[in-house]
Amino acid sequence: MPETISARDVLGLTPPYALALERSAVSTEARAVRQAASEVVERAERTRTFGRKAEAISQIWALANECASRDWNGEGALPIGQLAVFEAAAFIRALPEWIPLPEFAPEPDGSISLDWIWSRSRVFSVSVGPNDRLAYAWLDGTDRGHAVARFDGERVPDRILEGIKVFLQSANAAVGPR
Amino acid sequence: MLPSGLAELVADEEDLARFLTQSNHFNTEVVKPAALLPSPKTRETSVFRHGPSPLNTLWAIGLEAVGTRPLYGAAIFKAAVVRDASLTVEPKEPPPRHAVILKWPWMESDPDLQKAKRKELAILIVSAAGAPVLR
Repeated sequence: MPETISARDVLGLTPPYALALERSAVSTEARAVRQAASEVVERAERTRTFGRKAEAISQIWALANECASRDWNGEGALPIGQLAVFEAAAFIRALPEWIPLPEFAPEPDGSISLDWIWSRSRVFSVSVGPNDRLAYAWLDGTDRGHAVARFDGERVPDRILEGIKVFLQSANAAVGPR
Repeated sequence: MLPSGLAELVADEEDLARFLTQSNHFNTEVVKPAALLPSPKTRETSVFRHGPSPLNTLWAIGLEAVGTRPLYGAAIFKAAVVRDASLTVEPKEPPPRHAVILKWPWMESDPDLQKAKRKELAILIVSAAGAPVLR
Protein backbone atom coordinates (compact mmCIF):
# COMPACT_ATOMS: atom_id res chain seq x y z
CA MET A 1 0.00 0.00 0.00
CA PRO A 2 1.17 3.54 -0.59
CA GLU A 3 2.59 4.95 2.56
CA THR A 4 0.44 7.36 4.53
CA ILE A 5 1.34 10.86 3.65
CA SER A 6 1.32 13.64 6.17
CA ALA A 7 1.14 17.34 5.58
CA ARG A 8 4.54 17.62 7.21
CA ASP A 9 5.94 15.18 4.65
CA VAL A 10 4.31 16.94 1.76
CA LEU A 11 4.90 20.55 2.51
CA GLY A 12 6.92 20.68 5.64
CA LEU A 13 4.06 22.57 7.27
CA THR A 14 0.63 21.72 8.58
CA PRO A 15 -1.55 24.67 7.46
CA PRO A 16 -2.18 23.81 3.75
CA TYR A 17 -3.27 20.30 4.72
CA ALA A 18 -5.54 21.69 7.40
CA LEU A 19 -6.95 24.18 4.90
CA ALA A 20 -7.75 21.33 2.55
CA LEU A 21 -10.11 19.82 5.10
CA GLU A 22 -13.74 20.55 4.34
CA ARG A 23 -14.66 21.68 7.81
CA SER A 24 -12.25 24.60 7.63
CA ALA A 25 -14.08 26.33 4.74
CA VAL A 26 -16.94 28.73 5.48
CA SER A 27 -17.01 31.68 3.05
CA THR A 28 -16.60 31.64 -0.74
CA GLU A 29 -13.03 32.87 -0.36
CA ALA A 30 -12.34 30.23 2.23
CA ARG A 31 -13.77 27.59 -0.09
CA ALA A 32 -11.49 28.80 -2.88
CA VAL A 33 -8.51 28.61 -0.55
CA ARG A 34 -9.61 25.15 0.52
CA GLN A 35 -9.88 24.08 -3.13
CA ALA A 36 -6.39 25.38 -3.88
CA ALA A 37 -4.98 23.69 -0.78
CA SER A 38 -6.66 20.42 -1.76
CA GLU A 39 -5.04 20.60 -5.16
CA VAL A 40 -1.62 21.23 -3.64
CA VAL A 41 -1.99 18.26 -1.30
CA GLU A 42 -3.40 16.01 -4.02
CA ARG A 43 -0.59 16.91 -6.41
CA ALA A 44 2.00 16.24 -3.74
CA GLU A 45 0.40 12.88 -2.95
CA ARG A 46 0.32 11.95 -6.62
CA THR A 47 3.96 12.95 -7.04
CA ARG A 48 4.95 10.84 -4.05
CA THR A 49 3.17 7.74 -5.39
CA PHE A 50 4.42 8.26 -8.90
CA GLY A 51 7.90 8.84 -7.51
CA ARG A 52 7.90 5.38 -5.98
CA LYS A 53 6.75 3.83 -9.23
CA ALA A 54 9.29 5.85 -11.21
CA GLU A 55 12.00 4.54 -8.91
CA ALA A 56 10.75 0.98 -9.43
CA ILE A 57 10.80 1.46 -13.21
CA SER A 58 14.37 2.77 -12.96
CA GLN A 59 15.28 -0.42 -11.12
CA ILE A 60 13.80 -2.44 -13.99
CA TRP A 61 15.90 -0.54 -16.51
CA ALA A 62 19.02 -1.03 -14.41
CA LEU A 63 18.29 -4.76 -14.22
CA ALA A 64 17.82 -4.93 -17.98
CA ASN A 65 21.11 -3.12 -18.55
CA GLU A 66 22.86 -5.61 -16.31
CA CYS A 67 21.33 -8.53 -18.20
CA ALA A 68 21.34 -7.08 -21.71
CA SER A 69 23.88 -9.45 -23.18
CA ARG A 70 23.42 -13.09 -24.05
CA ASP A 71 24.55 -15.57 -21.41
CA TRP A 72 24.57 -12.97 -18.63
CA ASN A 73 24.45 -15.77 -16.06
CA GLY A 74 27.12 -17.95 -17.68
CA GLU A 75 24.51 -20.67 -18.17
CA GLY A 76 23.00 -19.67 -21.48
CA ALA A 77 20.53 -17.04 -20.27
CA LEU A 78 18.70 -14.93 -22.84
CA PRO A 79 19.09 -11.15 -22.64
CA ILE A 80 16.35 -9.03 -21.13
CA GLY A 81 15.04 -7.05 -24.07
CA GLN A 82 13.27 -3.72 -24.33
CA LEU A 83 9.89 -5.31 -24.88
CA ALA A 84 10.09 -7.10 -21.53
CA VAL A 85 11.10 -3.81 -19.88
CA PHE A 86 8.19 -1.96 -21.48
CA GLU A 87 5.75 -4.64 -20.34
CA ALA A 88 7.16 -4.65 -16.80
CA ALA A 89 7.07 -0.85 -16.62
CA ALA A 90 3.47 -0.82 -17.87
CA PHE A 91 2.59 -3.41 -15.24
CA ILE A 92 4.09 -1.26 -12.49
CA ARG A 93 2.24 1.82 -13.73
CA ALA A 94 -1.00 -0.17 -13.80
CA LEU A 95 -0.65 -1.47 -10.24
CA PRO A 96 -3.32 -0.03 -7.96
CA GLU A 97 -1.99 2.12 -5.16
CA TRP A 98 -3.04 -0.34 -2.46
CA ILE A 99 -0.62 -2.97 -3.73
CA PRO A 100 2.95 -2.71 -2.45
CA LEU A 101 5.62 -2.53 -5.11
CA PRO A 102 7.38 -5.83 -5.82
CA GLU A 103 11.05 -6.77 -5.89
CA PHE A 104 12.60 -7.52 -9.28
CA ALA A 105 14.81 -10.33 -10.51
CA PRO A 106 16.09 -11.38 -13.92
CA GLU A 107 15.02 -14.76 -15.26
CA PRO A 108 17.18 -16.91 -17.52
CA ASP A 109 14.64 -16.82 -20.36
CA GLY A 110 14.89 -13.02 -20.58
CA SER A 111 11.80 -12.27 -18.50
CA ILE A 112 11.62 -10.08 -15.43
CA SER A 113 10.30 -11.57 -12.22
CA LEU A 114 8.12 -9.36 -10.04
CA ASP A 115 8.18 -10.85 -6.56
CA TRP A 116 6.05 -10.09 -3.51
CA ILE A 117 7.78 -11.87 -0.67
CA TRP A 118 6.20 -11.75 2.78
CA SER A 119 8.23 -14.67 4.13
CA ARG A 120 9.93 -17.78 2.78
CA SER A 121 6.61 -19.61 2.74
CA ARG A 122 4.50 -16.71 1.47
CA VAL A 123 5.52 -15.68 -2.02
CA PHE A 124 3.65 -14.38 -5.06
CA SER A 125 5.70 -14.15 -8.24
CA VAL A 126 4.77 -12.84 -11.71
CA SER A 127 6.95 -13.23 -14.83
CA VAL A 128 6.80 -10.42 -17.33
CA GLY A 129 8.32 -11.14 -20.71
CA PRO A 130 8.10 -9.66 -24.19
CA ASN A 131 4.55 -10.88 -24.84
CA ASP A 132 1.26 -10.09 -23.11
CA ARG A 133 0.95 -13.41 -21.27
CA LEU A 134 2.01 -13.35 -17.63
CA ALA A 135 3.08 -16.61 -16.00
CA TYR A 136 2.60 -16.43 -12.25
CA ALA A 137 2.85 -18.72 -9.26
CA TRP A 138 2.42 -18.54 -5.53
CA LEU A 139 3.07 -20.30 -2.27
CA ASP A 140 1.00 -19.49 0.79
CA GLY A 141 1.92 -21.93 3.53
CA THR A 142 0.69 -25.25 2.21
CA ASP A 143 -1.42 -23.69 -0.52
CA ARG A 144 0.34 -23.26 -3.85
CA GLY A 145 -0.44 -22.89 -7.51
CA HIS A 146 0.35 -21.38 -10.87
CA ALA A 147 -1.53 -19.84 -13.78
CA VAL A 148 -1.26 -17.54 -16.78
CA ALA A 149 -3.12 -14.27 -17.35
CA ARG A 150 -3.24 -11.82 -20.22
CA PHE A 151 -2.10 -8.24 -19.60
CA ASP A 152 -3.52 -5.55 -21.89
CA GLY A 153 -0.85 -3.04 -20.90
CA GLU A 154 -3.24 -0.89 -18.92
CA ARG A 155 -5.03 -2.98 -16.33
CA VAL A 156 -3.49 -5.60 -14.08
CA PRO A 157 -5.45 -8.84 -14.62
CA ASP A 158 -8.11 -9.37 -11.96
CA ARG A 159 -6.85 -12.85 -11.13
CA ILE A 160 -3.45 -11.46 -10.22
CA LEU A 161 -4.95 -8.62 -8.18
CA GLU A 162 -7.16 -11.11 -6.35
CA GLY A 163 -4.17 -13.35 -5.70
CA ILE A 164 -2.13 -10.54 -4.16
CA LYS A 165 -5.16 -9.32 -2.21
CA VAL A 166 -5.43 -12.70 -0.47
CA PHE A 167 -1.84 -12.34 0.71
CA LEU A 168 -2.41 -8.79 1.88
CA GLN A 169 -5.56 -9.74 3.76
CA SER A 170 -3.92 -12.63 5.55
CA ALA A 171 -0.92 -10.42 6.35
CA ASN A 172 -3.32 -7.93 7.96
CA ALA A 173 -5.20 -10.71 9.74
CA ALA A 174 -1.92 -12.05 11.12
CA VAL A 175 -1.37 -8.72 12.85
CA GLY A 176 -4.77 -9.10 14.50
CA PRO A 177 -7.18 -6.56 15.92
CA ARG A 178 -5.87 -4.02 18.37
CA MET B 1 31.97 -43.87 -7.75
CA LEU B 2 32.45 -40.54 -9.55
CA PRO B 3 35.85 -38.92 -10.23
CA SER B 4 35.18 -36.58 -7.29
CA GLY B 5 34.83 -39.60 -5.00
CA LEU B 6 31.13 -38.95 -4.48
CA ALA B 7 28.47 -41.59 -4.98
CA GLU B 8 26.77 -41.85 -8.35
CA LEU B 9 23.40 -41.39 -6.74
CA VAL B 10 22.65 -38.09 -5.03
CA ALA B 11 21.19 -39.07 -1.67
CA ASP B 12 18.05 -37.36 -0.40
CA GLU B 13 19.82 -36.04 2.67
CA GLU B 14 22.67 -34.48 0.66
CA ASP B 15 23.00 -30.70 0.67
CA LEU B 16 22.96 -28.95 -2.70
CA ALA B 17 24.32 -25.46 -3.25
CA ARG B 18 23.05 -23.15 -5.95
CA PHE B 19 25.59 -20.36 -6.27
CA LEU B 20 24.22 -16.84 -6.42
CA THR B 21 25.92 -14.65 -9.00
CA GLN B 22 23.19 -12.04 -9.43
CA SER B 23 22.59 -9.47 -6.71
CA ASN B 24 18.89 -9.34 -7.55
CA HIS B 25 18.43 -13.05 -6.95
CA PHE B 26 18.24 -12.76 -3.18
CA ASN B 27 17.70 -10.46 -0.26
CA THR B 28 18.95 -10.99 3.27
CA GLU B 29 16.02 -13.22 4.17
CA VAL B 30 15.24 -15.28 1.10
CA VAL B 31 16.50 -16.49 -2.24
CA LYS B 32 14.14 -15.51 -5.06
CA PRO B 33 12.62 -18.16 -7.32
CA ALA B 34 14.35 -16.71 -10.39
CA ALA B 35 17.66 -17.96 -8.98
CA LEU B 36 16.53 -21.55 -9.35
CA LEU B 37 14.87 -21.42 -12.75
CA PRO B 38 16.55 -23.65 -15.35
CA SER B 39 18.64 -22.50 -18.27
CA PRO B 40 16.58 -22.23 -21.48
CA LYS B 41 19.56 -23.75 -23.27
CA THR B 42 20.00 -26.93 -21.24
CA ARG B 43 16.67 -26.96 -19.37
CA GLU B 44 18.67 -27.77 -16.25
CA THR B 45 19.65 -25.92 -13.09
CA SER B 46 23.27 -26.25 -12.12
CA VAL B 47 24.06 -27.08 -8.47
CA PHE B 48 26.98 -28.40 -6.42
CA ARG B 49 26.89 -31.18 -3.89
CA HIS B 50 28.03 -29.31 -0.82
CA GLY B 51 26.48 -28.02 2.36
CA PRO B 52 26.99 -24.73 4.22
CA SER B 53 30.11 -25.91 6.03
CA PRO B 54 32.98 -25.65 5.93
CA LEU B 55 32.35 -22.27 4.34
CA ASN B 56 35.84 -21.86 2.91
CA THR B 57 35.41 -25.09 0.92
CA LEU B 58 31.98 -23.98 -0.28
CA TRP B 59 33.37 -20.66 -1.54
CA ALA B 60 36.38 -22.34 -3.14
CA ILE B 61 34.04 -24.56 -5.16
CA GLY B 62 31.84 -21.57 -5.90
CA LEU B 63 34.64 -19.34 -7.15
CA GLU B 64 35.86 -22.11 -9.40
CA ALA B 65 32.33 -22.63 -10.72
CA VAL B 66 31.35 -19.02 -11.42
CA GLY B 67 34.59 -17.96 -13.10
CA THR B 68 34.64 -14.21 -13.68
CA ARG B 69 31.12 -13.61 -12.42
CA PRO B 70 30.70 -12.29 -8.87
CA LEU B 71 29.91 -14.84 -6.18
CA TYR B 72 27.51 -13.39 -3.61
CA GLY B 73 26.52 -16.54 -1.78
CA ALA B 74 24.55 -19.73 -2.15
CA ALA B 75 21.09 -21.16 -1.68
CA ILE B 76 21.41 -24.46 0.14
CA PHE B 77 18.75 -27.14 0.27
CA LYS B 78 18.45 -30.91 0.54
CA ALA B 79 18.19 -33.12 -2.54
CA ALA B 80 14.94 -34.45 -1.08
CA VAL B 81 13.38 -31.00 -1.56
CA VAL B 82 14.06 -31.22 -5.29
CA ARG B 83 12.50 -34.66 -5.48
CA ASP B 84 9.52 -33.55 -3.41
CA ALA B 85 8.92 -30.96 -6.13
CA SER B 86 8.72 -33.81 -8.68
CA LEU B 87 12.07 -32.87 -10.14
CA THR B 88 15.21 -34.95 -10.50
CA VAL B 89 18.77 -34.33 -9.40
CA GLU B 90 21.67 -36.16 -11.01
CA PRO B 91 25.45 -35.82 -10.87
CA LYS B 92 27.07 -34.20 -13.89
CA GLU B 93 30.84 -34.13 -13.52
CA PRO B 94 33.17 -32.52 -14.41
CA PRO B 95 33.57 -30.18 -12.65
CA PRO B 96 33.88 -32.18 -9.44
CA ARG B 97 30.76 -32.22 -7.24
CA HIS B 98 28.65 -30.74 -10.02
CA ALA B 99 25.03 -31.92 -10.37
CA VAL B 100 21.95 -30.74 -12.21
CA ILE B 101 18.27 -30.37 -11.41
CA LEU B 102 16.30 -31.63 -14.38
CA LYS B 103 12.90 -32.77 -15.58
CA TRP B 104 11.50 -29.25 -15.33
CA PRO B 105 8.06 -29.00 -17.01
CA TRP B 106 8.73 -28.01 -20.60
CA MET B 107 5.97 -28.80 -23.06
CA GLU B 108 5.98 -26.71 -26.21
CA SER B 109 2.17 -26.65 -26.51
CA ASP B 110 1.70 -24.01 -23.82
CA PRO B 111 5.07 -22.47 -22.94
CA ASP B 112 3.61 -19.81 -20.66
CA LEU B 113 1.73 -22.28 -18.53
CA GLN B 114 4.81 -24.48 -18.36
CA LYS B 115 6.80 -21.45 -17.27
CA ALA B 116 4.26 -20.77 -14.52
CA LYS B 117 4.63 -24.35 -13.35
CA ARG B 118 8.42 -24.05 -13.28
CA LYS B 119 8.03 -20.91 -11.19
CA GLU B 120 5.87 -22.76 -8.70
CA LEU B 121 8.47 -25.50 -8.35
CA ALA B 122 11.27 -22.95 -8.02
CA ILE B 123 9.29 -21.22 -5.24
CA LEU B 124 9.00 -24.55 -3.42
CA ILE B 125 12.76 -25.06 -3.51
CA VAL B 126 13.69 -21.54 -2.42
CA SER B 127 11.12 -21.76 0.33
CA ALA B 128 12.87 -24.84 1.69
CA ALA B 129 16.28 -23.20 1.27
CA GLY B 130 15.41 -20.25 3.48
CA ALA B 131 17.92 -17.46 3.92
CA PRO B 132 20.88 -17.41 1.57
CA VAL B 133 24.35 -18.21 2.89
CA LEU B 134 26.22 -15.03 1.99
CA ARG B 135 29.93 -14.51 1.49
